[in-house]
Amino acid sequence: MLAILALFWNPSQLGRENETVSSEENKKKTIPSTLPWLGRKLLWLDNMRNVDRIVYGLYGLCALLFLADFFYKKKTYLDLEDLPGFYGIYGFVMCAALVICARGMRIFLMRSEDYYSPKDVESEAYPEDGLERETNDD
Amino acid sequence: MTDVFPPFLIFVIGALILPFLPNGTPRGIVSLIVPVISAAMIWELPTGVYTPMSLAGLDLTLMRVDKLSIIFGLVFSLAAFLSLLYAWHVRDTVQQVSSLLYAGSAIGAVFAGDLVTLFIFWEGTAITSVFLIWARRTPGAFATGMRYLVVQIGSGVVLLGGVVLFYRETGSIDFGKMTLGSLGTWLIFLAFGVKCAFPLLHNWLQDAYPAATVTGTVILSSFTTKLAVYALARGFPGTEILIYIGAIMTLFPIFYAVIENDLRRVLAYSLNNQLGFMVVGVGIGTELSLNGTAAHAFAHILYKSLLFMSVGAVLFRTGTAKGSELGGLYKTMPLTMVFCVVGAASISAFPLFSGFVTKSLILSDAAHEGYYIVWGILLFASAGVFHHSGIKIPYFAFFAHDSGLRPKEAPTHMLLAMGITAFLCIFIGVYPDPLYALLPYDVKYVPYTTTHVVTQLQLLFFSALAFTVLMRTGIYPPELKSVNLDTDWTYRKFLPTVLKRVNNIVSGLWAFGTWFAKRRVERVVGALYQSHGPEGRMARVWPTGAMVLWIAIILGATLIVNFI
Repeated sequence: MLAILALFWNPSQLGRENETVSSEENKKKTIPSTLPWLGRKLLWLDNMRNVDRIVYGLYGLCALLFLADFFYKKKTYLDLEDLPGFYGIYGFVMCAALVICARGMRIFLMRSEDYYSPKDVESEAYPEDGLERETNDD
Repeated sequence: MTDVFPPFLIFVIGALILPFLPNGTPRGIVSLIVPVISAAMIWELPTGVYTPMSLAGLDLTLMRVDKLSIIFGLVFSLAAFLSLLYAWHVRDTVQQVSSLLYAGSAIGAVFAGDLVTLFIFWEGTAITSVFLIWARRTPGAFATGMRYLVVQIGSGVVLLGGVVLFYRETGSIDFGKMTLGSLGTWLIFLAFGVKCAFPLLHNWLQDAYPAATVTGTVILSSFTTKLAVYALARGFPGTEILIYIGAIMTLFPIFYAVIENDLRRVLAYSLNNQLGFMVVGVGIGTELSLNGTAAHAFAHILYKSLLFMSVGAVLFRTGTAKGSELGGLYKTMPLTMVFCVVGAASISAFPLFSGFVTKSLILSDAAHEGYYIVWGILLFASAGVFHHSGIKIPYFAFFAHDSGLRPKEAPTHMLLAMGITAFLCIFIGVYPDPLYALLPYDVKYVPYTTTHVVTQLQLLFFSALAFTVLMRTGIYPPELKSVNLDTDWTYRKFLPTVLKRVNNIVSGLWAFGTWFAKRRVERVVGALYQSHGPEGRMARVWPTGAMVLWIAIILGATLIVNFI
């Protein structure tokens, strides 16, 4: 059941609260009738309130998954695994640690984009003859 | 002479006739038929050892067919088909030919029964693949391709050295299970390790893959590294050091993936991380874990191609694959977004997607065999991969802030290639039995148990929760235009700087030495000149008058002395 839920859950819709950055100008440019069918259907994501709903849905789902641990017999190798919600706690803590560590790594490792130029592609534009730039309005 | 027809020859024949066909549909059709024929041939191959040849006194075996080589041969053919379909629009003969030869070399290597044949195809993959980077035709891509070529050819040279020593020790060039111990086997191991992107030897991958063309990266992602995984599974199963190497490999790339801006490079880091799981599987070396490695390689090639395809499609339409430049593309490229999410869910091992039914074999076996710390690392890496590949890639490309870009949906052939790949990812996840039947050993593994599904969902959803919380609190590092230093810094900046300094010091010392010696010599010459030169005392011409005067003085003196 939960596995099926996962199918409908789109991990990429998280944290869409940053949508506020979207400039009014760009939003004006979006004319729903020009969008592909699926794109039109997904336009509800532009509404901040819907994004919040998804986030609350995620909170709820996490709570449910945590509680699910009390309702079945876990098959485990380690004693630690028997802790209710072990996998959830582990996932949350480790991911938070991952991001914070990675953020700290930037202090030492980050350089400007042209650090290796000209012997690097990072600061080069992709050659146009290998592209087919087309906008949705074309 | 030959009892079975080697499938790699199909690719060579295809590559030979391709340039003589008119560009466009005829070439596209031929390049798609080739992998289909190859897959059909591999499917029909009877297991055994075929096409022995003798070269300079060595017995070569061109075809060694067993279940391990068949599954890799099949997935390589499948990957070639899908990426060539994705590359249908490419009109560049260099890329068309090198793609076919590259896939052919990889398939040839998989069936190689001896180390010399393996070496030939090993170098074949290096030489053919570099053209996919150079095909970008920019100075940066040329330099990157050179670095890639040096590393890849270097790996081949180390392999050859190892093979020669191995032959001297054992008198055999058979490519079978080896035990680490002698220099020869260590060199072979190292050569495999370079291609497999072991920690500290890994950076060619993240350097080169994002530099290739839109389609080139998709093709590159499938073959080289998985060939190395195959070679390790064939040559060093159960080598314990691989467990720890693999565990480190799963761990460190995820940190880089979080802060990397170029989404194709993020995928290259996560490719490295996924290879780690396979290497751990080889290291444990039980039937279950080796099955896990083969199955994971199969699933991985598909979902990784799918992810590279979707980011490639974005690059194809917008001219950039950088997280800082993208965002909000879901409105106009929704199908690409959906395929990307399928790839993301597969790599994150969501239940009902391919990663779930393959990665769990390795994780379960790590715990089962008592490698608890390694298991903990793999679990962390699983959560981490969801974080950066599962969420970050689709989020920053298709959602996040609206970049204002309104690119058109990817072209039909790309959508078709992505659609088929996405279908396969879900098919394997929902119905893994056909894949399990292909594995080298009989599998008695049930991926869908309550414990497994619930724990995996807990892991993933709580990781997603962490992402959401960090995003909402603004702790999540924003995408910034930047490069991050990795081990390639040593040979791209550090060593050149050191060499430059050494050069400066040596040339400075040399200049001082020569200046000093020259000055000494000049002084000696000057002194000699002064004494012996035309104006010198020794060479002075004395006037006769002076002599007469002196004689007169002496005579005068003598006279005075006589009188006194």
